[in-house]
Amino acid sequence: MFDRIVAHLRAPVRIDPAFDERVMAEIATLPVPTPVRPAAAWRRLAPFAGLAVAATALVLIARPTPPTRRLQFVVVAPQAATVSLVGDFNDWDAARTPMRLLRADGPVWSAVVPLAPGRYHYAFLVNGSRWLPDPAAPVASDDGFGAPSSVVTVRGT
Amino acid sequence: MKRLALLAVLMVATRAAAQEPRLERVDTAARAPVAALLDSARAAGLPTEPLIQRALEGTTRGAPANRVIAAVRRLAADLGRAREALGPSAAPPEIEAGAAALRAGASPSVLAQLRRARHQPLMIPLAVLTDLVASGVPVDSATAAVLILARTAQDADLVEFRRAVERDIALGASPASAATDVARATLAGATNVNSPPHMGSGRPRRP
Repeated sequence: MFDRIVAHLRAPVRIDPAFDERVMAEIATLPVPTPVRPAAAWRRLAPFAGLAVAATALVLIARPTPPTRRLQFVVVAPQAATVSLVGDFNDWDAARTPMRLLRADGPVWSAVVPLAPGRYHYAFLVNGSRWLPDPAAPVASDDGFGAPSSVVTVRGT
Repeated sequence: MKRLALLAVLMVATRAAAQEPRLERVDTAARAPVAALLDSARAAGLPTEPLIQRALEGTTRGAPANRVIAAVRRLAADLGRAREALGPSAAPPEIEAGAAALRAGASPSVLAQLRRARHQPLMIPLAVLTDLVASGVPVDSATAAVLILARTAQDADLVEFRRAVERDIALGASPASAATDVARATLAGATNVNSPPHMGSGRPRRP
């Protein structure tokens, strides 16, 4: 009994030779889905994207950039080894704006800084420790730290 | 217990530095209080950049932590008073210039009068007022001159006015009379229709 069952299961399956044709004919009757084409989507969005790019470019070109002025700061500091310009335009960082001697044989130190319109506080730091306000500029109001700083006002026009 | 407190202080300071990286330069003891003042100012709609700069200035000067904190706190209070006087629409540069004018001795009512008198940004008039007082011009004289000029004068005229006053003072005039005389001359120039106010005032221009 068992052997007969096994033999029946192992017997080759007989398939109708027209089976494949019937399946393919059935498939051919189904509606063909439209493939998603990225290029078509891009074509629909292209005009909007173009407009967005043009608008951004227009804004960037037309945006008024604050006019920057190059201001020269000069100080006479005899017997100074180093002089730095510190102020709220460089975060009061002595390393950011070192001044240079205008002439090797004179004590005149200079630095040129581009500044946008506004009001700036600054001072000169001599030899890394001595605080020196600009004698040619208005004095800043008391900031609570002792020796005063100076102020410079940069106009917009 | 002591270690826990130290750890807490360090954590607060680290958090403060993370919020504003430039505060890493500030003394550890001042960092957290300054960050708290920045938070308060931000919440009140005040500009925080002047406060950061004040803390950095104190740090570069080597000021102790308590002086840095006090200076930042005082500036925050001045900024608040200036904004109150100038109105809620005041721009940050105006608020900062207003704070400096108040510190120089101008009253909040002067700031409010300037706001009403001038329909342009107030940064330059306030800066000129502050600089005049710093040059020795009495507050009342400086205020009167700037209030009159601010109605019609352009920013360039106001800056030129300040320079002329400083020149007169340097040449020996008393600060009060210099401010009055130059203001009068500037006004006379402004009423002269044949020449712009900053070009011809009938008053000889010094180099």
